[in-house]
Amino acid sequence: MSSINQIPVIEAKRGNPLSKVFDELVRFCRSRSLFILHYCTGCGAIELPPAMTSRFDMERLGIQPMVSPRQADILLITGYVSIKTLKRVILTYEQMGSPKYVIGICSCTVNGGMYWQSYATAKKLDEYMPVDLYIAGCMPRPEAVIAGLQQLMNRIQSGEANSWEDYFRNYDYYLGNQQKLFGDNWQTPTDIITEAKHYNLMGEGTFGEHTRLLEQHQKPLEALDMRLGHNLKEPTE
Amino acid sequence: MRPENYEAQRQPPSNEYELNFGPNHPGIEGNYALKVKLHGDVVIEANADGGYLHRGFEKLMEQRLWIQNIALVPRICVPDPSPMELCYSMAVEQLCGLVVPKRAQWIRVLQLELSRIAAHLFTFGGHAATTGMYSTMYWGVTDRDLLLDLFEEFTGGRVYSIYNIPGGVRRELPPGFLQRVTETLDYIESRLPDYDNLFFKNQVFVRRAKGVGVMTREQALAWGVTGPNLRATGLAFDVRRDDPYQVYDQLEFEIPTEESGDAWARTLVRRHELMESIRILRQVIDALPDIHGSIRAPIPNPLAWNVPAGETYTRVESSKGELCYYVVSDGGPKPYRVHVRGPSSMHAVQVLEKLAIGSRIEDIAQTMFSLDACPPEVDR
Ligand code: SF4
Repeated sequence: MSSINQIPVIEAKRGNPLSKVFDELVRFCRSRSLFILHYCTGCGAIELPPAMTSRFDMERLGIQPMVSPRQADILLITGYVSIKTLKRVILTYEQMGSPKYVIGICSCTVNGGMYWQSYATAKKLDEYMPVDLYIAGCMPRPEAVIAGLQQLMNRIQSGEANSWEDYFRNYDYYLGNQQKLFGDNWQTPTDIITEAKHYNLMGEGTFGEHTRLLEQHQKPLEALDMRLGHNLKEPTE
Repeated sequence: MRPENYEAQRQPPSNEYELNFGPNHPGIEGNYALKVKLHGDVVIEANADGGYLHRGFEKLMEQRLWIQNIALVPRICVPDPSPMELCYSMAVEQLCGLVVPKRAQWIRVLQLELSRIAAHLFTFGGHAATTGMYSTMYWGVTDRDLLLDLFEEFTGGRVYSIYNIPGGVRRELPPGFLQRVTETLDYIESRLPDYDNLFFKNQVFVRRAKGVGVMTREQALAWGVTGPNLRATGLAFDVRRDDPYQVYDQLEFEIPTEESGDAWARTLVRRHELMESIRILRQVIDALPDIHGSIRAPIPNPLAWNVPAGETYTRVESSKGELCYYVVSDGGPKPYRVHVRGPSSMHAVQVLEKLAIGSRIEDIAQTMFSLDACPPEVDR
């Protein structure tokens, strides 16, 4: 057995006191180096540049923007998500490596906010992905954003911020809501169930009617059809 | 990705490929995407892909009271919300025949020009960041924050002020406020030489921006370009001067223009506009203490306000270009139809698609920021 398997990475349930210390150390380090994915979904994003730059300066907490979802820890949903955006948000969320944290900024992510009537926006974010923390307000000030991030850091350090496990354990619920919105054929490139098996995070709600529907519809992925303007006609002249 | 499902596809050898640029991309402004076709790193075709921020404003506004819509309109353009409120208020005033008191008109100009400076500083920051100069971004955003503090003081909101209502403005200026505006303006003006050295005269920026995204005056007119982007092609058109609203006809200011019509010229026009805005604000600050009177025309109970039937079209000059509202009322408590003609829907879709062709992939972001397009306003 390689020595790497003996290192208790996540919450080893062995009675080894060393592993507890190690867990605490890992969580401490994790909470001190967070990378925010740079994805502005709505109008709350306008308060992020002030929070990041010299005046409020998020970097003093060890939080930085990051451009690639694969290397980011925090997905900030900054405001209302329209249905078209929500698809991309879910794809992005599934691409991020665990452990990952979701923060919903703005009232629009909580309950639809002032677009509660709109035909184009998804109202409650936590129906589609687990959310660790909400920062309410329309829009929250940079101080509020920073206070929220500090709270997330505390929660990570104390080991409470594990909503990402919830996505694996209750995948059927989230998938069902996604199917309601995007149709029964909805399928993402990431195989959540295999990942859940791999991480040993299978729960009661991982399987259900919706995942069975997914299996029925699941097609082998084709290379993404990115052909540009394939339905445009050639100009006649 | 499931590797077992992946099969390499046989393609004829080619050096043309397609790329999705955005919506999750550091070089794109806001939540917006472009699908580009590249030959090497030169763009040969670009298609705008919007709709990520669509909220259905025009439909939502039909379902709310005339006064409730005031809270909705600033959300259409996030970096520069004040002209939105004003333009909508002007439309309702025209429908009702309301006459806005003089003092309210001056306060509105104060708010508009502060908002214009804030929006331009934000744009400089974003544009500089696309050329790799992050210090300018830090400076621009931080200096904009000083203006947001002023907004917070006299309207109560940092970004969305919701301060103009049909008939006037909501609150009187706090005591000593004009003094603080003067101080902030002095500070921003004293910073401009630093900005020049760091950004506008910096060879890194000048060489990258010159000759990028060039449009001629004829093209600009044909594509419906307005605002600083049109003035960068040498045509001095500005709604503030050519179709004055509020008290702009009593103010002295110039319409800065540039000839070359490229990204560099567009940014320079904005820099000169910043100076003109400071000049306008100084005149407003001088004039305001002598103008007394109420700040709001009497309006009926806003919750039972039936605006007389009719239609109207108003326009103002926002920091991005010409902003227009077409409002129809059928005499009821809610608008019958509201249409927003925002400048960015031209700049970010048809203009950007054409200007991107022939440029290098790394210059798309710069072209977009130099056009100062505002994606929430494109999608609405
Ligand atoms: S809560 Fe307000 S600021 Fe935030 S996304 Fe919604 S409308 Fe915009």
